[in-house]
Amino acid sequence: MIYSLNGHEIAELFERIKKDFETYGTIDVQGDVIFSKIEKYHELKIARSDKPPKEFLIGRNENVLTLPEPSKKAVFGVMSCDLKGFYIMDRQIYGKDPFYTIKRENTIFVNYVCTEPCKTGFCSAFGGPLMDDYQIQVVNYEKDKYVVYVNDKYDSYFKGFKQASNDEISKVENLMKRFNEKQEKHNVEGIENRIKWNSKLWDKYAKICIQCGACNYSCPTCYCFDLNDVGDERIREWDSCILAGFTRTSAGNPRENLSSRLRQRFYHKFVYYKKSRGVYLCTGCNRCTDDCPVDIEIKEVIDHDYDSE
Amino acid sequence: MITITIANNFKPREENIIEKTRETNDVYTIELASDSNSLPGQFYELSVLGIGEAPISVASSSTERLKFTVRNIGHVTSKIFEQDRIGVRGPYGNHWPFEKYDRILAIAGGIGVPPIRSLIHELKGKKELWVIYGARTPSDLVYKYEFDQWKNLSNLILTVDRGDENWNGKVGLVTKFISEIPNLKNMAAFLIGPPIMMENSVKELLKYEVSPENIYLSLERRMECGFGVCGHCNVGHFYVCEDGPIFKYSEVRDLPEVFL
Repeated sequence: MIYSLNGHEIAELFERIKKDFETYGTIDVQGDVIFSKIEKYHELKIARSDKPPKEFLIGRNENVLTLPEPSKKAVFGVMSCDLKGFYIMDRQIYGKDPFYTIKRENTIFVNYVCTEPCKTGFCSAFGGPLMDDYQIQVVNYEKDKYVVYVNDKYDSYFKGFKQASNDEISKVENLMKRFNEKQEKHNVEGIENRIKWNSKLWDKYAKICIQCGACNYSCPTCYCFDLNDVGDERIREWDSCILAGFTRTSAGNPRENLSSRLRQRFYHKFVYYKKSRGVYLCTGCNRCTDDCPVDIEIKEVIDHDYDSE
Repeated sequence: MITITIANNFKPREENIIEKTRETNDVYTIELASDSNSLPGQFYELSVLGIGEAPISVASSSTERLKFTVRNIGHVTSKIFEQDRIGVRGPYGNHWPFEKYDRILAIAGGIGVPPIRSLIHELKGKKELWVIYGARTPSDLVYKYEFDQWKNLSNLILTVDRGDENWNGKVGLVTKFISEIPNLKNMAAFLIGPPIMMENSVKELLKYEVSPENIYLSLERRMECGFGVCGHCNVGHFYVCEDGPIFKYSEVRDLPEVFL
């Protein structure tokens, strides 16, 4: 169902959800936007979090030998590009990783749809900010006016709210159309056929990459993790395919060269995942580039003229 | 509350080691108390709590007790032999598709041999099985105490890269002996060992018109989880743990990292 809410009603929705869920949201801490537990809707700062929300589902320093008691969480202020990361990951890890699956089932992400392009994102290459898959999706299309798309599962929280009119829905659709026109264009479609194994890009990046792993950590779709024993616990920690140890075995290391690891990252995103799971492993958030200390640009990987090489 | 019942597939079960055998100076075999419950080619994650886990191929057939042959090379594999009990989870991955074929050539190099031991004991001589097993030196050959039995269950070709004063057998790489197998064209080939050995064996097999559809490779990567979620073991768009470890050559021949 699609509802039409005003600011007061959005706050009311928050209270209704709070009865059943622990509530989290993006808050502003001296200019940093982070996820934190919140008690009131007005604490929420609608801005993209500095880090993606994947920690809600993929733990760090999590002992995998003991399944936790599931806790119900509602996370407000997740941007669409970040929410999309979960739907993309689901295709590989949902139902297989018990920790991820249990948390996924017990968490509501309330995503907010950008109505103006952000500085560096390129989500329109992947369909734009209005998501087809969502739990509760909020579009603040005019001052104090919200169109809220709701998965049937959560419809009960919207009792008494009025349904959005066709007029309001077409206002949102037009806004999205304008958004996608306005955002700079990066044509990702078909990259799996254009990209080249021996492209000079990989060596170029290898010359400057300092192997910090920030691109993986800041990515809303990177799901790889490492297991390390600490005492009587087996600890899950996020891992990075840019680090040499990622593929090292007793028989050697199939990706000893940094350029082969950088290539792997982009091939996983734009070739392998598309082939194995039907979608690109990227949402166009551009965090990997924003957070890269040496300015390796994912957009260049997409836009590069491989044919001329 | 949405309750979904899902087992914690990260959690190993504890197993007693009931027998330990030193195979060579850096390879050992352990036998566990439980039934193998797995097919030739599959693997388990073995663990020592506080140290870590390692993916290890099953060396036993489905009707034996669970058995692993391990090279003492890393921080986990150097500790397993000292234990009375270890953590075990699995089996993971697919198995050699022996059901589909009547004539099979298995080629094993070095410490790749345990899944071929498993195959020999699984088939029990019921199919035409040729085995070429190569090691660097005679002292690197494992399962020496079973070779007489293997000769009854298969046509066995043992070879070493370098012989010694007591070695009367064949000397040379496994590829050298592929041409000795009769009527290769209508056989299936199961390959496991160092990438360079598999790559050269494939070349040789193709020369004798073995179909790329009937050549199978067992790939080795860093399988940490075993069930397709940790992301470490990809080869192209495959994860070795859930799509393999055994791949049809025709499905992987275009992947540039297959023989790494």
